[in-house]
Amino acid sequence: MNIKPLGDSALLISFGEVIDDEVNARVHAVARAIEGKDFGWLVEVVPAYSSLAVIFDPLKVTFEDVKKAVEPLLDVSTGAFKGRKIEIPVLYGGEYGPDIEFVAEYNGLGVDDVIEIHSGKTYRVHFLGFLPGFAYLSPVDERIATPRLERPRLKVPAGSVGIAGRQTGIYPIESPGGWRLIGRTPLRLFDPSREPPTLLQPGDEVRFVPISEEEFVELYRGEWRSKQ
Amino acid sequence: MIELLSVPSLLTVQDAGRTGYRKLGVPVSGFMDDFSARVANYLVGNPGDFPLLEFLLAGPKMRFNASVVFAVAGDVDVRINGTPIEPWTSYWAKRGDILEVGTLRSGLYGYIAFAGGVKCEKLLGSCSAYPRAGLGRPLKAGDRLSVGYALLTGREGCSLPRKLKPDYSGDSVEIRVVLGPDLEHFTENGIETFLSSAYVITPESDRMGYRLEGPVIEHSEKGPDIVTSPLVPGSIQVPGSGRPIVMMRDAQTTGGYAKIATVITADLPFLAQSRPGTEIMFKRVAPEEAREILKRREKTLEAIRKFLDGEMRAYSVRALGKEFLLFAGKI
Repeated sequence: MNIKPLGDSALLISFGEVIDDEVNARVHAVARAIEGKDFGWLVEVVPAYSSLAVIFDPLKVTFEDVKKAVEPLLDVSTGAFKGRKIEIPVLYGGEYGPDIEFVAEYNGLGVDDVIEIHSGKTYRVHFLGFLPGFAYLSPVDERIATPRLERPRLKVPAGSVGIAGRQTGIYPIESPGGWRLIGRTPLRLFDPSREPPTLLQPGDEVRFVPISEEEFVELYRGEWRSKQ
Repeated sequence: MIELLSVPSLLTVQDAGRTGYRKLGVPVSGFMDDFSARVANYLVGNPGDFPLLEFLLAGPKMRFNASVVFAVAGDVDVRINGTPIEPWTSYWAKRGDILEVGTLRSGLYGYIAFAGGVKCEKLLGSCSAYPRAGLGRPLKAGDRLSVGYALLTGREGCSLPRKLKPDYSGDSVEIRVVLGPDLEHFTENGIETFLSSAYVITPESDRMGYRLEGPVIEHSEKGPDIVTSPLVPGSIQVPGSGRPIVMMRDAQTTGGYAKIATVITADLPFLAQSRPGTEIMFKRVAPEEAREILKRREKTLEAIRKFLDGEMRAYSVRALGKEFLLFAGKI
C-alpha cells in the first residue's frame, strides 16, 4: 500500500497493481470510511480496481495533513461490502451483436456456447470510469476472451455489450469503441435525470440474461420512450 | 432573454464544474480557464462560479431582448450595435442591442458573463455542458438564453486594470507540474527527457485532453500500461508512443496509461489557453509549493473581486524600475 500526490489537490492510495475482488472490496471500504468522516476539505473520492483518489481542497489543507487523516482509515474491515444483484437483459447476436460469430470462431465455439458462457457467470462491478456509467466488471471466462478490433468503430450504440480480452462491459452512451460487440441491452445505463444517474454501482453483482427480440423491443420502449 | 444570431464555433454554458459524480464515471467539466471565467463573473457582480458562456476561438453574435449587464473576457474585438467596446469591462445592454464578439487574437477560450448568470437546468448539480453524456449541448444559432434577475446587483462600467489581464500570447509557456504518481513506469532518462524538452501542442486537442509532440519519454521495463486508476484534470498520461497527453476539464475519470506528472491547478488556465503549435516546458514543483502558488493566485482573484466591488482601490506604483499594482482597502 502506498500514498502519493496526484497533483496539488488529490492523493492516490494504491493497494498494488492487481485486479482482485478482495482488494477492490477494500478500496470501496476505505472510500466509504473517508466519505463517512465529514472532513471539511474533502471534495470527493474516486475508487478504481486497486486504488482510489481522494480529491481535496488545497486551500483548506495540505497533502501531508490529508495523508495523516486517511492513514488510520486504511485498515477498515471489508466485511460489510455487499452490492445488489442486477440482471441485465441482453439480445445476443444479429445486428445487435455483430461480432458474436467472430468471438465464437476465434475461440472454436458455437454462437450458443458464447451466449451460455457469457451469461453463465456472475460479474462484480469493480468501479465506474471511462464514460459516465461504464462499469469495469470482473473478467469473463477464458474460453470467450477475444482481442479488440484492429480498427475501432467510430460509433458504438448505447447499450452495446462487448468483450475485449477478458474484459466485458456495456457502452452506457454512444461512443467510439474497439470492443467485440456480442449483444445489446435495452436498459439505460446512464440517465442524468435519474438519481442515481447510473444503473450500476460499484459492488453490484451482475448477470447477463439472454432475451428475445420481442422482449428487447418491449423493454426498450419502456426505458427510452419517454426520453425520445 | 438573449437570442443567439450566429455561433461560429463551440459555444457552451460552463460553471465551476460537476463534483461528487466522478465515482460514477462523470467528468468534472467546467471552465477551461477558471481565472478568466471568474474575473468575467466578478465584472458583472456575480460570484465567481456562476454559469456563463464559454467560446472556442471565435465568439457569437447575439441580440438582447431585455436589458442586461454583460462583460466579455478575452483578447478580442467586441462590438455593440457595430460600435467597438472594450473586453474585460461590464456594459449595460438595452433591449434590441446586438453584441458581436470577434475572433481571439491570443488564447483559445473566451467568456461572456451576464449579471445574474445564464439560467440553465442543473444536471447532476452543475450547468457545465458535457454533451457526450447528454449533460447539456453545444449552443447554436436560434437558441434563446435567459439570464438571472440582476437589476439590483448588475453594474456597468467595471473594468479590469490592464496589468491584471492575463497574457496568453506567448509562443512558449512554462507549465509547473507535480511529478508522479506512476514514476516507476518511467526510466530516469524518461523523466529527465520530460522535464528538459520542449513539447508542442498538436491540433488533436480539445476539452478532454491536449496531445503533445516532442522527444519520446522512455518507459521502464514496467511499460506504459497500468491497472486502470483514477486521474484528474492536469494529469499527464504517457502511452506507448512516448508522447504525453495532458488531461483537461472533460477528462475521463480513470485511465490505463502511466501518469508521469500532474499540472498544478494555478497553471491549468495557461495550458488551456495555449494554441496548437505552442511550446510547453514542464517544470517540477513540490505539492506544498503548488499549494502556495495557488493560495497567491486566490489572493489576487479575491483582490480583483474586492476592487471591482469597490471595496478596494488599486494603485500603480513604480519601484526598482518596475511597475507594480497595489491594492488597498479593508480586508
